[in-house]
Amino acid sequence: MIRTEQLSLAYGATPVVNNVSLTIPEGGITCLLGPNGSGKSTLLKSFAGLLPARSGEVLLDDMPVSEWDRRRLALRLAMLPQKPIVPDGILVKDLVALGRFPHRKWWQNNQAGDNRIAFESMVMTGVSELAGRPVESLSGGQQQRVWIAMALAQETSILLLDEPTTFLDWGYQLEVLELLTKLNREHGLTVVMSLHDLNQAAQFADQIAIMAEGQLEVSGSPSEVITETLIRRVFRVETSVSHDDNGRPFCSSYAAAYKGEKSTPYEHRNPMASEA
Amino acid sequence: MTAIVTAQKPSNRAVIGIILGGIGLILAIVTGVQSGAVDLTWGQIWVGLTGDSSEHVQRVIFDIRLPRTLIGLLIGIHFAVSGWLLQLLSRNPLAEPGILGISAGASLIAVIAFVIGDWVVSGANPYNNTSPVLQYLPWFAMAGGLVAAVAVYLLGLRNGQLSPLKMTLTGAVIAGMLHALTTGVLAFWGHAHTELVAQWLAGSLYGAKWDYLFTLLPWTVIGLVGVGLLVKPLKVMQLDDQHVHTLGLKLNRWRAFALLIATLLAASAVGVVGPVGFIGLVIPHISRKLAGANLPVQLVFCVVFGALLTVGADVLGRTLFTPYEVPVGVVSAILGVPFFLYLLSRQS
Repeated sequence: MIRTEQLSLAYGATPVVNNVSLTIPEGGITCLLGPNGSGKSTLLKSFAGLLPARSGEVLLDDMPVSEWDRRRLALRLAMLPQKPIVPDGILVKDLVALGRFPHRKWWQNNQAGDNRIAFESMVMTGVSELAGRPVESLSGGQQQRVWIAMALAQETSILLLDEPTTFLDWGYQLEVLELLTKLNREHGLTVVMSLHDLNQAAQFADQIAIMAEGQLEVSGSPSEVITETLIRRVFRVETSVSHDDNGRPFCSSYAAAYKGEKSTPYEHRNPMASEA
Repeated sequence: MTAIVTAQKPSNRAVIGIILGGIGLILAIVTGVQSGAVDLTWGQIWVGLTGDSSEHVQRVIFDIRLPRTLIGLLIGIHFAVSGWLLQLLSRNPLAEPGILGISAGASLIAVIAFVIGDWVVSGANPYNNTSPVLQYLPWFAMAGGLVAAVAVYLLGLRNGQLSPLKMTLTGAVIAGMLHALTTGVLAFWGHAHTELVAQWLAGSLYGAKWDYLFTLLPWTVIGLVGVGLLVKPLKVMQLDDQHVHTLGLKLNRWRAFALLIATLLAASAVGVVGPVGFIGLVIPHISRKLAGANLPVQLVFCVVFGALLTVGADVLGRTLFTPYEVPVGVVSAILGVPFFLYLLSRQS
């Protein structure tokens, strides 16, 4: 279980996340949402111990993540960065096999068991047919599934993904989200990801946490969190929210709420905006 | 079905490439012993190697050509492997010991040591061709190379993380500054030794002796053992930094170790033969093209072809215009450029 307690993060002197207390339940899909620069990706990175806390703490299994040994942490939690780098000319199977790195001493080569697990990861993500192809030659959606296969080969119970759909077209976005849902439902993988699309988050998430200007605005189930007032306030968008047969919220007929205004939509900063 | 995922095996093309390179290297070594200012016949060499021949032939083979050829072989390995490491580390295909300031730092300290040492020890005889300092030059050069590498590394950090772009730019600037200082030192204090130092700076194997070989050899061993330890971590280090951290690799530690090994290899070679550029740039490229993404195979390519290029360049340099010699650094650049351009054009 990941838990933050009054967590504040900064890049150098610039504060990015302020006083966030959030619990990520094990076995669920949690989506971090928020406008650009709201701190959602930064928060996600702090879960992986990639940023030191300025104050407060990130706790993984009740121990500060900064005190985890990197290798042990790599057995508990995997992360897919927003723009992963594809090593020159690497083949799909060799990239996926890198996921086994924390399971071996740094001088040991992968063994038969590792290769079996890497292969199973490729089967789960549907890329086993591509095993012998160079990763660079694949489509964006295929590449993203290869990266997820590599993370699965790491055999962690938590997977963090930093905007895994940003560079994909609509079809591939859904494909990736459905794959993550399948892995969550069938293998109990805890998924934590930052997303841009509210409707996708509402459709796939068990928990949504919304960040605004470095603060945690609200967290809860999609139907608790996604409301017209909140979307207007945080995302500066007028919508009408309806609910589908499963009770999941759905935003439609959107329009920018504060056209041409430079000011922030926050009521305490701009009282006029709340009347718009 | 799991047979799909097996350990990385070298492709057939890579195996053929290594075998051809190995044959080429043996031919180059044999030619290196056979030809030069005085061409020996095969019979003379055979008799010379088996020990029963004239003193003249023995001296040509054992005192001059064999050590020279072997030193060429070692420095080829040094520069090629160093460049390979630096290109991987900086994620920059242009990285090499020269462009990151390592060769320039090594040169500057070596030249200073050379000038001062000569002045102190044999000031009375400025035309003495065998400076007593030469034996210690690798040490001075390594100190200079390490200082330059550490400076470039530290200046290349951004928020505590290495920024490959910043590191490369810093390296180029520092290399330029150190070159200027080296030229300045020569202009002020070099006087009688300018010719000898200039020859050294052009990267020459002229006058290379067994002493130099034994000075260099320990660093070859340390460097190759070090790079062997690095092969598996390097596979992971090709990924995004955040990715590397979350795979459990202690990135800063391994990066520093890789930089240390690359610097020791390049700077010790600079100390012995001078800053031979280009090998460290072109050989890793050729290796990647021929070996594919398999890092251990790339490394073997670097060793074989780095040695082949320097030994071959040295042989050509001293046979083409006999009795004049073209320094190995010049010939290797002239040989390497067309091949390099050919590979680049084929890529696109």
